[in-house]
Amino acid sequence: MNIWATYQRKLEDEQISPPLAAILSLVDLCATSTAGTMFELVKALNEGSDSLKQHSPNPISINAGCELFIAFVTLFPHDSASFSDLKMELVKQGETYVRQALTYRRKIGELAVDFIKDDSVILTHSYSRVVMETLLLAHRSKRISVFVTEARPRGLGVKTAQALTAAGIPCTVILDSAVAYAMDKVDLVLVGSEAVVESGGLINAVGSLNIAIIAKSSHKPFYALAESYKFHRLFPLSQYDLPSHNPRILSFPPPIEQDNILGHPSSAVGSEVPSSRITQEEIAKNNPDVDYTRPDLISLVFSDIGSLTPGGVSAYLVGMFAG
Amino acid sequence: MAALELMPAAQPALTTTEAPPSTSSSQPSQKSMSKAERRELQEKQRAAKIAQKQQPPGDAPNKPKSKPKPVAPQNPTQPSGADASRSKDATSAPTMDAAEMSKSRNLRIFSHFGLPKHGPGLKGDIHPCIVRLALQFSEFKICGANARCIATLTAFKTVIQDYTTPPNNTLSRHLMTHLSPQITHLVSARPMSVTMGNAIRQLKLEISGSDIDMPEQDAKDLLCQKIDDYIRDRIIIADEVIQDLACRKIKDGDVILTYARSSVVEKVLLSAHKQGKRFSVIVVDSRPLLEGKELLKALTSAPPVSWTLSNDSLLPPPPPIPCTYALLPALPSLITEATSVILGAHSLHSNGAVFSRAGTALVALMAKQHSVPVLVCCETYKFSEGVMLDGFGKNELAPSHLFRDISTSSQEPNLEILNPLYDLTPPSCITAVVTEVGLIPPSSISSIPMALGRISL
Repeated sequence: MNIWATYQRKLEDEQISPPLAAILSLVDLCATSTAGTMFELVKALNEGSDSLKQHSPNPISINAGCELFIAFVTLFPHDSASFSDLKMELVKQGETYVRQALTYRRKIGELAVDFIKDDSVILTHSYSRVVMETLLLAHRSKRISVFVTEARPRGLGVKTAQALTAAGIPCTVILDSAVAYAMDKVDLVLVGSEAVVESGGLINAVGSLNIAIIAKSSHKPFYALAESYKFHRLFPLSQYDLPSHNPRILSFPPPIEQDNILGHPSSAVGSEVPSSRITQEEIAKNNPDVDYTRPDLISLVFSDIGSLTPGGVSAYLVGMFAG
Repeated sequence: MAALELMPAAQPALTTTEAPPSTSSSQPSQKSMSKAERRELQEKQRAAKIAQKQQPPGDAPNKPKSKPKPVAPQNPTQPSGADASRSKDATSAPTMDAAEMSKSRNLRIFSHFGLPKHGPGLKGDIHPCIVRLALQFSEFKICGANARCIATLTAFKTVIQDYTTPPNNTLSRHLMTHLSPQITHLVSARPMSVTMGNAIRQLKLEISGSDIDMPEQDAKDLLCQKIDDYIRDRIIIADEVIQDLACRKIKDGDVILTYARSSVVEKVLLSAHKQGKRFSVIVVDSRPLLEGKELLKALTSAPPVSWTLSNDSLLPPPPPIPCTYALLPALPSLITEATSVILGAHSLHSNGAVFSRAGTALVALMAKQHSVPVLVCCETYKFSEGVMLDGFGKNELAPSHLFRDISTSSQEPNLEILNPLYDLTPPSCITAVVTEVGLIPPSSISSIPMALGRISL
């Protein structure tokens, strides 16, 4: 079975986020697998998750889901009579988990709403399902207005703005470069996340770090919302230590028309044309999709297991995996 | 000193005991003291008596701090160097006396720092291998938290094997009373390290838990087996896992900065080199121990790797690790070159503070200032449940007679060289701690012992 195609199909559902899609794909793999022993099954699952990671340009959130499911499978007490029964049980458990996980956003929203005061101005970044859920929930009981960043290169901020305006929330799209300008008017920052890592930091769409730094320097609270399946056993030391980093990001293009500058026009044949036209795609190609926000910049992480400080996140992760 | 001697005059009526005047400064009557206080007083008096007995009458009573142990001639293990210095002391007795007086004044605020206690020689029956080990400790021949712990446990194995339970006693009850004087002797050579403390606590537990009905030899073998397991699980295997985890954080083109020498860091760097990673190392070092030289030696003489066959092509051996050696004052100009800092640790406290070789805090602080990530490699058996707030509350002084390369200390009566061996790096300066259970932020240290089930041990 083609696990990448399965993954893409699962992602088509608006409610399913990448880690959950990865879990569902592995569940499908589990259901169709012909493995006769636990060892074979885990091997097949590992292969499946590897192939998912290879296909995806940004393996971090897929990895979080895969890791969770494989850890669950290996730790699952297998006392059932036949292995196929066990596999069916695993599939059932996996599906139950995903169904349950879909209620997490609501839970997180309820936690976070208490931190939003009436008549507050919220800054959010890009598009996040859990942030949308929280904002819509807050809108029911409080008057809020929202600034949303445009979030280049994907421009998902526009999607957020459209959805919020449709719901009747005053909303303005601001440029990514205007965050510092807008920060004084903002009461709190609310962002979603791709993954929450062991340091208590956050991996999210590029630009989150800028917002966090600016919020910190203006003494505005920076809240992150993350479902617990996004908690990831990873400890990035710097931006370049992320799994999504590759040599292409921030690389310099090979120098051109040096001869022209030096006054030797001999080899410069029509070199004016490519240098003057830099397309958006070209810019996006050399730029990261996600960045890493250090724990000291984050005020609180809201998750379905509670409102945690970054230190609490790392204690939870350490307790879960190191035990 | 002057203040101390004035006190008894102010409260003469209260001193009813026969203690020498210098130690009985201001004691309330014995009845109003608690049990612990009374015991403390007794011990003080006993120590004073012994000191008086052993010293020529003219000497100051609290002298034996830094002077080599005034041993009776029956102890043949005293090194000849100390003998020489002793004879020199004898010839220049009056000047030394003045020096001692001023020294005790200068060092007064540091007097709680552990110095080798050269108290009364051998007390109780100390096993010869413990005597040798104590000498190696006090001469800094065996140095470093891991080395000292392994050496101690190995020596205890010999002690346990040579032990026979006296009649009308059981091994589980009596062996510990046999080991206690051995431990006391080791501690008198150098203050106990956290690692040794943790290991000994574990050993005590194993001893008290050993089966009473087991034949003696079997019980001893079992204990030795337990010690071997401890060394293997908590130190050797832990180091291997740490090597593996830390190596993943070293990438081609990195510049790793390290301070002094840690056995784990050395292993990490060597194994990263063995994996074919191209990185360079800056070894920062400092007086008085200059341990970085050892690390430099180990890195530059990394075993030559032969030509390797990969994908049907013969690859040349990787070049040796490019190393830079610098002393601590050069750190500000070198830190900008570094991409990450990897440090070792003596112990790790539950608030995430790292107790390590003096100078480490400076390196970590400087790295934080330049936003260079700081990794501390530390096995979980080095964790201490206590909390430390600075390196002043508890520390150890390097014995000046071993590291005296400024020749003035014996001639200048008012000069005392102070060499604290450790300092404390606050958790805010550390990016991550590499342990055998993974990379963890220093603030989450306290959740680790629970995960390892050490609380229940």
